[in-house]
Amino acid sequence: MSATRPAATTTDPLSREPVVKVTSLTKRYGELVAVDDLTFSLEAGTVTGFLGPNGAGKTTTLRMLLGLAEPTGGEALVFGRRYHELDEPARRVGAVLESNDFDPGRSGGDHLRALALAAEIQQSRVDEVLELVELVASARRRVKTYSLGMRQRLGLAAALLGDPELLVLDEPANGLDPVGVHWLRNFLRSFAEGGRTVLVSSHLLAEVAQAVDQVMIIDRGRLVAAARLDELTGTGQTLEEVYLELTARRAS
Amino acid sequence: MKAALRAELFKQRSTRTVLGLFAAMVGLVLFVTLLHGLGLSAENFDGTAEQITAVFGWGEVLGALFAALLGAISMTGEIRHGTIRPTFLVNPHRRSVVAAKVWASMLIATGFGLVAGALAAGAGTATLRARGIDVRLDAGDYALLVIGGAAAAALWAAIGVGVGALVRNQVPALVGITVWLLFVENLLVGDIAGIDAVGRLLPAAAGRAISGQAPETLLAPAVALVLLILYAAAAAVAGSLAASRRDVA
Ligand SMILES: Nc1ncnc2c1ncn2[C@@H]1O[C@H](COP(=O)(O)OP(=O)(O)OP(=O)(O)O)[C@@H](O)[C@H]1O
Ligand SMILES: [Mg+2]
Repeated sequence: MSATRPAATTTDPLSREPVVKVTSLTKRYGELVAVDDLTFSLEAGTVTGFLGPNGAGKTTTLRMLLGLAEPTGGEALVFGRRYHELDEPARRVGAVLESNDFDPGRSGGDHLRALALAAEIQQSRVDEVLELVELVASARRRVKTYSLGMRQRLGLAAALLGDPELLVLDEPANGLDPVGVHWLRNFLRSFAEGGRTVLVSSHLLAEVAQAVDQVMIIDRGRLVAAARLDELTGTGQTLEEVYLELTARRAS
Repeated sequence: MKAALRAELFKQRSTRTVLGLFAAMVGLVLFVTLLHGLGLSAENFDGTAEQITAVFGWGEVLGALFAALLGAISMTGEIRHGTIRPTFLVNPHRRSVVAAKVWASMLIATGFGLVAGALAAGAGTATLRARGIDVRLDAGDYALLVIGGAAAAALWAAIGVGVGALVRNQVPALVGITVWLLFVENLLVGDIAGIDAVGRLLPAAAGRAISGQAPETLLAPAVALVLLILYAAAAAVAGSLAASRRDVA
């Protein structure tokens, strides 16, 4: 997909390479084809909703993009490189794949500190992101005492440590209360307004519709739609209606 | 690599896991040395080697055990809790992550080994003296127990990291390490396999040999040290390769 919001960046559009470029990406688990010949690209300054039914292959795609899983075929590039080839990945890409990737016995602040040490990021930045996600008061408490929403915010704080240009989030709104969802939506919008890029998977279509510029829908590992939100819903349908139509499984 | 090491050291001291392991080790060393020192009949304490086997050597054995558990948990704990994902996102050079875990665990395990060896030496000496039994260890024996025990613990920590990276699942990794160190090797080294043949070339026996235990049957300390370094390097490399090649769930 190449639809772009009106450019918020000042970079020369001709020299701009896609932030994410996925080409013929495929992942097989034995007989199962989790991701099937997927091709798309994302440009800077966009917020993209990554949609699809359970088991469609969204998380698997993101894992390959982030170097956690090896593609069976094709490639997934961020800033023109494979993830592990990035010089300082934490300063370019921030990601949250699971909402509970914490040691329950470590405090939230220390979780961030450990990652900051590994990425050579200052402690002052740890304090900054704690402030940003409103966890300062709980930073010294062990994560086992955190609510689901607090964990979501701590994960987001970790992703933001390196002040990245690309944010990849897998179902970040799960467990957030309405205020949290509202906050997240505004946060993603303002994040992209500075020319940065967001790729976010979600099942909450109404929320997605309010936060993204464009959507990609996959089903059984294959891309079934990729378009600007206003193009998809231009016919007067809601995103949910379009989604249900596109992902409708053949009856029985 | 320096950053990765700093991060790993910080992880080890920002939960209570290491402290818990340390406390368990201290308790167990005291328990076993006192139990054997007080409970065994006097004819078990005839010579230096006998005294070391019955009482003093337990410092090394338990130091190595808890060091290996510490190393394994540094790997399996991250897999279990999912922190391996942010860890690999921040540092996608997985070999450097595993290497940092090896060095950090070896460093902390050195402390474990020193404390375990010193505790066993102190408690063992006090117990035997209290019973009026002549302690047959000289300064060299004590030094070898403590320093050799620390070296064995450090190397077993590296083996633990490697095993953790290979096995990934925490419970089997920890149970496997414990059972191997406390039972399997003793059985293999015992009458069945014959210690002269293979038994003394196994890693737990090498650890015991480094600290000067059973010099009649086990390898010389220096030879055992080289052997255990080879085991540790092999485990670390195998774990590192496994971590690099496998997908993270
Ligand atoms: N490690 C794995 N081994 C075997 N199969 C896997 C593995 N990981 C994912 N799969 C399978 O791949 C398919 C895609 O899974 P994936 O997690 O990418 O879906 P998803 O779109 O993220 O779904 P959800 O919306 O439920 O999170 C599923 O059928 C899943 O069972
Ligand atoms: Mg998923």
